[in-house]
Amino acid sequence: MNIEKVAVIGAGVMGSGIAAHIANAGISVYLLDIVPKEGGNRNAIAEGAISKMLKNTPYAFMHPKNARLVTPGNIEDDLEKLSQVDWVIEAVIENPSIKQSLYQKLSRVCRPDTLISSNTSTLPLSVLTEHQDALFKRRFMITHFFNPPRYMRLLELVSPTELDPNLLQMVKSFADLSLGKGCILCKDTPGFIANRIGTYWLQTAVLEAISHKLSIEQCDAVMSLFGVPKTGVFGLLDLIGLDLMPHILNNFKQTLKPDDPLYAIADIPPLLQSMIEQGNTGRKGNGGFYRLQPGSKHKLKESINLQLGEYSLSNRFQIKGASFKTKDLQAFLDDEGVLNRYAWRVWSKTLCYAAELVNEIADDITAIDSAMKLGYNWRLGPFELIGHLGIDWLTHKLEKEQLALPEILFSRQDLYIIQDNTLHYKDKSNRYHPVQRPEGVLLLSDIKLQSRPILENAAASLWDIGDGIVCFEFHSKMNTQSIDSMALLEASIKKVSADYLGMVIHNEADHFSAGANLTLLTPAILAQDWETLKSIVQLGQNTLRTLKYAPFPVVAAPTGLALGGGCEILLHCDAIQAHAELYTGLVEVSVGLIPGWGGCKELLRRWQSNPRCPKGPLPAIAQTFETIGLAKVSQSAQEAKELLFLAKTDGITMNKDRLLEAAKTRTLALSHDYQPPEQAIYNLPGQSAFSALDIAINNLYLSGKATVYDVEITKQLAKVLSGGDTDITEALSEQDMLDLELEAFLYLLQQPGTLARLEHMLTTGKPLRN
Amino acid sequence: MKNIVIAGYARSPFTPAYKGALATVRADELTAQVVKALVNESGINPNDIEDLILGCAFPEGEQGLNIARLVVYLAELPVSVAGLTINRFCGSSMQAIHIAAGAIQMNAGDAFICAGVESMSRVPMGGFNILPHPELYKKYPQAYIGMGETAENLALKYHISRAEQEAFALLSQKKTYAAQQQGLLSNEIIPINRPNAESVQIDGCLRPESTAQGMSELQPSFLKYGSITAATSSPLTDGAAAVLVCSEDYADKHRLNKLARIRSIAVSACLPEIMGIGPVSATHKALARANLSLSDIDIVELNEAFAAQSLSVLKELNISPEKLNIDGGAIALGHPLGASGARITGKAASLLQRENKQFALATMCIGGGQGIATILEACHEH
Repeated sequence: MNIEKVAVIGAGVMGSGIAAHIANAGISVYLLDIVPKEGGNRNAIAEGAISKMLKNTPYAFMHPKNARLVTPGNIEDDLEKLSQVDWVIEAVIENPSIKQSLYQKLSRVCRPDTLISSNTSTLPLSVLTEHQDALFKRRFMITHFFNPPRYMRLLELVSPTELDPNLLQMVKSFADLSLGKGCILCKDTPGFIANRIGTYWLQTAVLEAISHKLSIEQCDAVMSLFGVPKTGVFGLLDLIGLDLMPHILNNFKQTLKPDDPLYAIADIPPLLQSMIEQGNTGRKGNGGFYRLQPGSKHKLKESINLQLGEYSLSNRFQIKGASFKTKDLQAFLDDEGVLNRYAWRVWSKTLCYAAELVNEIADDITAIDSAMKLGYNWRLGPFELIGHLGIDWLTHKLEKEQLALPEILFSRQDLYIIQDNTLHYKDKSNRYHPVQRPEGVLLLSDIKLQSRPILENAAASLWDIGDGIVCFEFHSKMNTQSIDSMALLEASIKKVSADYLGMVIHNEADHFSAGANLTLLTPAILAQDWETLKSIVQLGQNTLRTLKYAPFPVVAAPTGLALGGGCEILLHCDAIQAHAELYTGLVEVSVGLIPGWGGCKELLRRWQSNPRCPKGPLPAIAQTFETIGLAKVSQSAQEAKELLFLAKTDGITMNKDRLLEAAKTRTLALSHDYQPPEQAIYNLPGQSAFSALDIAINNLYLSGKATVYDVEITKQLAKVLSGGDTDITEALSEQDMLDLELEAFLYLLQQPGTLARLEHMLTTGKPLRN
Repeated sequence: MKNIVIAGYARSPFTPAYKGALATVRADELTAQVVKALVNESGINPNDIEDLILGCAFPEGEQGLNIARLVVYLAELPVSVAGLTINRFCGSSMQAIHIAAGAIQMNAGDAFICAGVESMSRVPMGGFNILPHPELYKKYPQAYIGMGETAENLALKYHISRAEQEAFALLSQKKTYAAQQQGLLSNEIIPINRPNAESVQIDGCLRPESTAQGMSELQPSFLKYGSITAATSSPLTDGAAAVLVCSEDYADKHRLNKLARIRSIAVSACLPEIMGIGPVSATHKALARANLSLSDIDIVELNEAFAAQSLSVLKELNISPEKLNIDGGAIALGHPLGASGARITGKAASLLQRENKQFALATMCIGGGQGIATILEACHEH
């Protein structure tokens, strides 16, 4: 059974976001809502939701054209169309009688083998299936997406025992392969897994923050020290919307037993209540815990004082001298400062709560760890965090503080161990079971548990991933490129040439590579050490050229950001197997530079051979100029294809966990009778193309769209892309193009404008427009 | 000297580039539909047509390969009709009329189709491959100056405020919309058929909802602190226009509907950085050649490339408002570069009939620093 057509009923934030993501998978989807009471356009609600999604960020669609796959409609006129669909997702208001009456109608029009699921986050399965017949239960389940559906990887599944196993398999496989979701089977308990623990954690963190008299910046910084996203607690509540909290808490109050620790704290604090009443409901309202100063032109950030309920300018808060390393976290929690006590109170309570719930909400600890990682973007799930802190250390500290030890921690045995080269988890009876990976999932983290790298240095490692294929992994901060990473890449190419069939370039960090390490450049510029700078550029050029012409296939498997030098690596590979969430671009101009490791020549070559590009010497140059000059970054892998960072033949994988296996398969396929690419030849028009680009640059400057220094940088870019002092009748080699890139790069490095841009980026993380 | 007459005028609807209804129609196809309809409506025997002269500002891509000859085939004219593509940027199709007039004087034919086209959706302004002469660009960069900047120069030179420009543009919108509402444009428009879509019947660039307030809030388009905006510039437009030019003897013999005689023609040149003033000297030359003065002229069609450019011309040429662009102008209607010359000449000839007037002037500025003008005299049946 395959899913070829879907319907989503309810065009609210969740319903429309789910529909958009189904369209991202290339599947057509109906989006139906009620007919507006005020009359007029009968599809106004669904149509409005689609146009809103096309405008608002983060973008729900991976490409605006995906919106064409979403057909808006209403449940009065279009219900009959649901006889065509394989899956109906109900995402209407959380009211059992409204949902039940909708199910009655759906049962009448849908085919018997159509899956009907609810996206409820609060109503138990038992309530939704009450009074429904056995036939309905055979085809009904809960599929709970997280907001925003495109970006949050968790899908919680709750199914009745009567559910047709084929339907469960169908939805699991579609959600995994086509939507890229991590499916977690949950028990039918309030809030399922992630929101049960997540709400307890958030509510504890808010209440403890108030009682410890801390600032929200301090609390958020403490939380992110433990691998929670930078939004921490209060930033996250602003994102969720404070106005949702009373509903969520009230629902737990109604469904949990009174002895549940969450029941005891599920009351809305007076400060939050008054914030909601004043419309300070978060990012969608007038701001929440954080806000932009009203009426300020300078986007000044303010934060609320939890004691006084008043806003003042937000002070950035950093925790010094602590990192995510076990020793640092232990020391931080052992300290007696108020921030330290706060961290201990929140994490000890949250971890113990999770530990108490293991069998009540899920089958095992891996489901809970995965749910918190996929649904709340925690770096480690609660049980992995317990392991990271050290089970002995934690249990001793809990006892010392006279806190009750959850049953699963009684034995003080590790929750996860490696046995026979495989990761195993512990159950409540202290038995270990192997962590099962679905077929097609290959994780570098698993390989790292089982083996040692073939080569390694501080910036990168080379791993054997089986079948003659290696994985080259960056692991520096933000995976920036440095002399070390290039040196190991060069050494790896030699190694693979001798002993292996092919190479995948991949890592499991959030971001493939943020580009070259800029901190390498500034000291050399200040010392006017141009020779060193020249050698850094040439090292990159030579390494990437060697990579391109290596006698074995190289496939990059990027996710997240692949910027600047990171993008140039992609451009030199034989193929790319990209995660759907790929944000790639040649963004060097934002730091006063142009691509210097072959990025200009590679992107130009792609435009020159693109059939969509109009003929003649200029269009490919102009397109490349625009893409690099405006530092365009793709908002998805799909868009990266349009910008030609990805070739038409490159693959896109929706599920990040399946990326490495897909790239490995691609590499193996390419390794049969592999021939390195042929050297490209460039016939460029030289000065006449430069003049054309110069006219465009000047017009942008005159109209105020380019700054003085934008002009300087883009003129250098124009010089490279037009081929310098060449003529259309002359053939330039790749080395000629690399020499032009080098010359322009070194020229720019010597300009004060570039130094200003570099320093600004390094200190503020934001581009300077000088 | 022979008398030469305009004996027919037709055009496609003018619609906005990229988003408009004609964006999907190729320039050659668009022109062919207009030419075919003009030939049918005028009643001319197509075998008598000497040449199809087609003006186009960027004759490349779909507008390339001597598009004029291809239009002959597409319009199913006899294979004996020749085809000539010419380029004088915005003056192209008025130049087509001038070439025909010259040829008729030389006994080099009796009847000519003089047309113009521009699909600014499908062939970008400047074309696909701008490759300036590097030395000329260094020595004399204004040879390649952008059009918006030339209009900014005129606004400065003639002290034309942004508010004056907006008042002019608003009036253009109002006149054009009124003409459209009164059906004064529909008789010149040929509905254009599109593959798998409805035919296009009406002009699409008009912005009748324009207000002075709305215009005043727009950002300048060309200079950061300039005065020219999208509202006071003619929009990028798709469209085609054509007129039938023939000797008066031929027209009389075949009982064609004579609209106007061509009294005189002229081109002129000026500094490229103030190209918009081109109509002034071209008009003076044409008037002198016609032995007329500006006060003799009853109808003026002045192409509105920019409001500031039109207002500059009006500071030099004393033209009373009730004679000027009475059915509106290019700021509202649109300016498909190669087609506008045939449109304003055909329009001026038609207006002489409708308004029962004697003399008309059609004139326009041309990028690179030129002007072109045509003076017409009505052919009234007595």
